[in-house]
Formats: sequence, C-alpha cells, structure tokens
Amino acid sequence: MQSTTPHPTSGLSIDDALSWFEVERQQLARVLSELSARGADAADVYFQHSRDNSITLEDGIISRATTSVDMGAGLRCVVGDQTGYAFTEDLSTPAMLAAASTAATIAQGSAATAPVGFHRGPNLPDRYPLARRWSEVSVTEKIPLLNRTAELTRALDPAIIKVTVSWADSDELVAIADLSGRIHIDRRPMSRLWVMVTARKGEQIQSNSANIAARRGIDWFSEERLQQLAKDAVAKTMILFEAARPPAGEMPVVLAAGASGILLHEAIGHGMEADFNRKGTSIYADMIGKQVAPEFVTIVDNGTQDHERGALNLDDEGTPCERTVLVDRGIMASYLHDNISAKHYGVQSTGSGRRESFRHTPMPRMRSTYMENGPHTREEIIASVDRGIVAESFTNGVVQIGAGDFTFYIKNGWLIEGGKITAPIKDINIIGNGPETLRNVTMVADDCKLDSGGWTCGKDGQSVPVSQGMPTTLVSRLTVGGENV
Amino acid sequence: MSKLLASAQNAVDLALKAGADDAWVNVSRERSVSFSYRDGNMEKVEESTSRGLSLRVYVDGRYSAHGTTDLRPDHLGAFIREAVSLTRALQPDPHRLITDPALFADRASIDLQLLDPTVAELSRDRREVWCAEMDAQAHRDERVISAESSVFSGHSEGVSASSNGFLGSSAGGYIGYSTQVTVREDGDKRPEGMDYAVGRFLDVLPAPTEIATGALSKALSRIGSVKAPTQRTTMVVDPQAAVSLLARTMGPASAAAIQQKRSFWAGQKGQQLLGTRLTVVDNPLIPRGLASRLYDGEGISAKPRPIIENGVVRNFYVDTYYGRKAGLSPTTGSPSNRIVRCGDKSREQLISDVGAGIYVTSWLGGNSDPTTGDFSLGLRGHLIENGAIAAPVGEMNVTGNLRQLWERLEVLGNDPYPYSSLRVPTLVFGDMQFSGC
Repeated sequence: MQSTTPHPTSGLSIDDALSWFEVERQQLARVLSELSARGADAADVYFQHSRDNSITLEDGIISRATTSVDMGAGLRCVVGDQTGYAFTEDLSTPAMLAAASTAATIAQGSAATAPVGFHRGPNLPDRYPLARRWSEVSVTEKIPLLNRTAELTRALDPAIIKVTVSWADSDELVAIADLSGRIHIDRRPMSRLWVMVTARKGEQIQSNSANIAARRGIDWFSEERLQQLAKDAVAKTMILFEAARPPAGEMPVVLAAGASGILLHEAIGHGMEADFNRKGTSIYADMIGKQVAPEFVTIVDNGTQDHERGALNLDDEGTPCERTVLVDRGIMASYLHDNISAKHYGVQSTGSGRRESFRHTPMPRMRSTYMENGPHTREEIIASVDRGIVAESFTNGVVQIGAGDFTFYIKNGWLIEGGKITAPIKDINIIGNGPETLRNVTMVADDCKLDSGGWTCGKDGQSVPVSQGMPTTLVSRLTVGGENV
Repeated sequence: MSKLLASAQNAVDLALKAGADDAWVNVSRERSVSFSYRDGNMEKVEESTSRGLSLRVYVDGRYSAHGTTDLRPDHLGAFIREAVSLTRALQPDPHRLITDPALFADRASIDLQLLDPTVAELSRDRREVWCAEMDAQAHRDERVISAESSVFSGHSEGVSASSNGFLGSSAGGYIGYSTQVTVREDGDKRPEGMDYAVGRFLDVLPAPTEIATGALSKALSRIGSVKAPTQRTTMVVDPQAAVSLLARTMGPASAAAIQQKRSFWAGQKGQQLLGTRLTVVDNPLIPRGLASRLYDGEGISAKPRPIIENGVVRNFYVDTYYGRKAGLSPTTGSPSNRIVRCGDKSREQLISDVGAGIYVTSWLGGNSDPTTGDFSLGLRGHLIENGAIAAPVGEMNVTGNLRQLWERLEVLGNDPYPYSSLRVPTLVFGDMQFSGC
C-alpha cells in the first residue's frame, strides 16, 4: 500500500526529499529561475509535508481520532526589505511556475542568477533524533497511553466527574531550496499529551488542565511521566475549590520556576524580534548596548536544546539555529534575526526566521526563551515579600510591541503574606510594561527550569511551537487583576 | 463547482469502498490576495490559490475525521483507505452517527449575496494606489515612526457530499483594508493604533483613507497614556472591544461544553443567566453577513434562533453528537451572525450620561474560565471625566465574573460594530473592579 507518510529520514538525501514531493531537480531549477526573473536579493522555495494525528478520550472511551496531511510549497522573492510570496499545494510544474511568477512581481529589475545544480546544505547535528518516527507508530500503540492517563487521573480524587485526554503527534519533512543551489532538509517530530479535569464539590464545579509536549517519540511517555501529568492536572483543578482572587492593584510578584518564562516571552522576547526594530516600532528599538536590567539578569533565546518543543536544527530559511543572548548580565545584547533583518542590520541571522507553514512568509520568532540562574534562592525570595503573590501556572499572554505593555493570565498561584505563602489564588490577569519590569527584577534564584507544557506563539496570524523557562524571580511591582478592594 | 462536486462524490465512494458505513466529504478551493505597503514602499505581496479535502468516516460504530491537501490521486486513495482502517482501531461510540437527513430538510432557498463580483476584477494597480493613499494618509503627522497599510481580499467555494444524500455548495468572498500606525512619544514608548474594515461587498466599506485616518488618530490618542488608580467605577466598552467580550461570554454556550461540565451555561435554559438587558439572535440568513450560510458543517439547515432574550437563555449551540450525549435537540454546533439588540443612544450620549468612569477601547490579553465565568482582562482606553473622553489609560486590568458582568449591563448604544459577524454596540456596565496604580 502506498503510504501517505514520508520515508524514514536517516541519511535523507536531497533526491529522497525531492522525490517525496515528486519534484525533479530540473523542474526546481526552472522554478527558481522564474522566481528570480525580475531580480532578487534572495529567493527560496520551501517544500513542506506534514502529517498530524490526534486522538481523544472522553467519557471513558477513545471516541475520535483525526489525521491531517498538509503538503505544498511556498515561493518567496526578496528585494531589500520587500517580499513577494505565493504558495501552492499543487506541485506540478505549471502550478509552481505560476506561483513563482506571482511572487517575482515584487521585483522590477533584471534577472538574478538562478542555480543550475543543487547540493545539500551543511550537515547539522540532529537535535531531535527518535528511535521510531511517528509515521511508524500505529494508533493502537498510542491508545493504551490515553487509557492509562485517564485511569491514573480518575483514581486521584473521588470529586472528579470528567476526564478528557487528548493526544497529538506530528511528523514533518521540510526542504528549502535557495538561489545558491543549496537544499536544506529537516525532519521535525512533535508530540503532546493533555489532560482536562472537571471536579464537583457540592454545587461548585471547577475545571483545569495540564499538558506535556516535546519533540520526542513514544518512548518518552513513560508510566512515571503519565503519573506526573495526571497528578499536576488534578492538583491544579482541586486547588481551585479553595482559591480566591487576590486584592487588586500593584504589588510584588514572584514568578515560580518554569512556565513563568511567559513573562520573558511577552515582556522582552517579542520586542527583541528584529523586524519590529528595523521598522522602529518596538520599544526596544534604541536599546542595544544599554543597561536594561540588574547585572544578575541574563536572558537567552535558544534553538539548540535537544528535543525541546522550541528546538530546531535549522530555521525556516535554512540557517542553523543557535543560542542567542538577548540580555547579557543586564545589557541588551542582540535582536532575533531572520535573513531580511540580518541584512538590514549588517549582521548574521540568528536562525530565528520561522513560519507556521508553507503558506506563510518567515519572520523573526522566538524558539526557547528563558532566564539563566541568579544569585538568590527561592526561600529568600518568598521571605522577602511582605504582601504579594506567586504566579505559578498560566494560560496565555500578549504584548503591545511599541507601548511595551504586556500581560499574562495566571490560572493558579499563591498569596504571600508576611514572607509566607498563605492561600491559593486563581484567574487573574497581570499587566506591566516591558522595560520597566526588567528594571524591577530585584531577585533571581538558582533553580531555572524549562516548562514541559506545550506553548504556541502567535504573531501576525502565524503560530509556531516555542518553549519557555525561568528561575524563581521577584518583580518588585506589577499590576495584579483582583477583587475585594 | 462541478469539478469540486465530482471530487467530493468520488471521495465518498472511495471511503465506502474501503469499508466505511457512512462518509461525509467537504472539498474547498480558495484564492487570496494581500498587498502590504509600509512607509512609502510595497512591503509584501502575497497571492495564492489553495485547496483541500476533509473527510468524516463512520465505520462499525466508530468515527474519525481527516483532512488533506495532497490530492494526487494515488495518495488520496491511500489516505482514505488508511483513514478507514485507523477508525477500526478506535472504540465504538453509540452517540456518533452521521447527521439525520431530517435535519437537511427545509434548507432556505434565498440568495445570501456572499460574493461581490467587482472584487475579483480589482486590478493590481488599483490595490497599489489604495495602499499608497492609505500610507500617505497614515503619515500625516510628524510623530509617525512607521505605518503599514494592507488591502486584502479572497474568495472561496466549497462543496459537501455525504453517503446519506447530503449535497451542498457555497461560495463567498471578502475584501478589507487595515492600517497600523506607530508614533513617537517622549521616552521609549511608541504607541500604536490600528484600524480595519472588512466586508462581503466593496460598496459597504468606507474609503481606504478613512481607515488610515482612524488608525493614525487612535495611535495619537494613546500618547501620554497613564495608569489610573485601582477603583470600582463604570465601564464603557467600545463596540469593537465588546465583540470579544460577548464572544468570550457565549463561548461555553455549546452542548459540547455543557455535556463536558465545563460551562457556566449548563442547566440554564429558560433561566435568567445574563442580567435583563442582553438579547442576542443567531441569524445565519442575513444577506451579505460575514457568517451567513444555508447549512452548517454537519449539513443542518440554517435557521435564525434567539440565544438570549432579555438575559434569559433560549437556545444553546447543539451539534448532533453532543446533543445526543446531553439529551438536547440539535440546533447548530457553531455560531453564525450574532446580532445584539441595540439601544437608541450614541456613544457620545452614553459617555455624557455616565459622567465619570473608564472607556475601554481594546483589551490586552486576559482570559476567562468557561466553567465558573471568572474573568480578568488587561485593557487600554480613556478616562471619562465630566461626561467626556479624557486622558488615555493603560496597564490596567478589569476583573470579575461574566454572569455578574451582564447583570451590571446598564445600557446599550445604537452603534453595532459592522466589521464582525458579532454585531454588538457600545456597552455600559456599572460598578466594575479595575486594578491600576
């Protein structure tokens, strides 16, 4: 039977990749020639084939599954800061040539030199090798994991009335052909497991969820990992019965180690994406080289961590990913660059050019954003706060790039009174200003951890998977949504 | 269209041949064009034609759903065979059945006017001229750092066919403009303003330059934004911001959320859930409506339905599956055009009547819990002082519970937001909890 999933990748050659898309070298040369027929500083064809599977367990049964196959090519012609773009799911020569000539209309000069031959881009270490690709794992191997997770979850508390477990895995093949004749190939796995819990106590009903995600294979979903996930989901739900809103207004906020990296993502990460800075629309546009935080603050965006959700071997322009230091001991160090912004600033791309799919143009994006360890301890930090909160788990955040105002929503947290954690809190939005908040980071602990939950970042209508992490950190003042005033 | 229909029917046949008891197939094709202009130059031109097929299969009491854009015949055949064989590995679900054909009956036979033929004829030159005009308009202030203006349009056609006799086809389009402006203020802050308009027909949209003017004035109005004190006061919500507030409230009004016990709407049919002043009708049959349709994703014939009348719940969004599970009759699983009953005062009159409070122009993040209705939202807007819009405020939150929020709805304006399928006017809520400095 013809399989609808790509070949195994070990040693995937460019001919293997092209044959999957049923594209010949000669045809690709014609398309790149058409794409650069009116001139181009850069041009590329981004081929992508992805297969996504999902399974849902609800009301005690595995009641539905989905598969989705997406295949196509995005064709891009770049002149200075200008981009012409077209995509097609039809990879026949006429369809690709039509898309190429559409994208080429952004240029108005004479033809650039198109490649006549192709060679594979530099061989890069694979940061997410799997013992078995998701395309080789059948649904019958995944189902027991969902059943087990539901069973573990239900057993944890008699007040639980609903458990939903959702599974998602994905296997993606990317081949990027550029004007120099290089073809960059990447094979990107992803997996994610969610648990949603609803519980009832008397008249009160509460629900919450927890999830884990990584560029991992099925062997990662061990009994121990499922137990931890079930425990987290149930604990986060049951605590809501006792939780209340904190008082409203400005107060110190302790960011718990892990998912609090959402603060970095919103307060500084987006503002450091170089497209906003080359356009002058970011609040950080004039801050490179300036002191923006205390010297114990170092903030990193890193695409090189093995199996992380935000990891990439190469970005969606074919640039190898790297570890980029955004803030180096308090000094603003580097933006996140794609090829267009790198050329604009006369620097190297940081391997941050990412796109949701072949339907989208790449732009500078975060990968895995975190703060490095600082000199304090969690205990010291909590003890230093007279009246404030601990932010522990989050649902979402957002930022206004120019004004610098950012928010994140706390699902679970704790009240601190007199240097001690006293009561659970829930459902409040936090709002602050990016540069002000960086200045107000007064303590950073030595317990940095990356969150294992599956975060997705949205920008200009494009979603990409990211990671985030944080050591326990004290921000001396943020505006806390709350009640009881 | 006949080509799409043939490929939909072919896919149904392939699924049945592979062993499915029932199958439902949607095939669609879409064309989109977008031009973006920034600071005197074309920044990005995007133009694409897209296609896709989605398939729902019912096999031995089991169910799964699939989608693909790889329509090469041998690949499609294999994809459908794999879909059917995967379904056999799942557990039977007695509630999962293909839509009862009785629900296909009485499909309205009106022309919804969803496709403006003049949009497809718009030349590239015309679009570029609009972009340039918007760009020039957006730069009419020396404090502008950067402005980006876009003209975007698209049209799509879709066909659905099922093994139990459903056939439907639809076509629709849209056109819109948007401008985003960033301006300089003392210090590092660079306030931004955004405006846009979108519609089915070109002739209902304002001139593109009006959008640019709106974006510029919104950006300039943000200069000098401050954080107001933590307080309880009246909240006036701009229609554009009201859209997401009402969408957030109505999100859990589905049988799916109710049956899963993750909805504060559960058990509330016929009850006074959202105060006494809110009335919302779901009307899929409005000519030129952004969410108009003759049938929904399950083939259920579209009908107007009251959702909330004077705060009382009249209907939920009930699809066939969760309807069967929850013992509710199917209505439709997804909202169409949601029309809020308006009041008779303008925004200016409302603000004048309020006297003092906070006028919210947009939300910044925040969320709500669908089970309890608890919400907390970041916001930006203006103080209301002496019955007029005063200084800009930002970096503030408003926090409460969605049920209590609508109980505090005091009055609605006469200005429904025209560029959303959710048409809601200016809203005035009393005694809301704001956090600031």
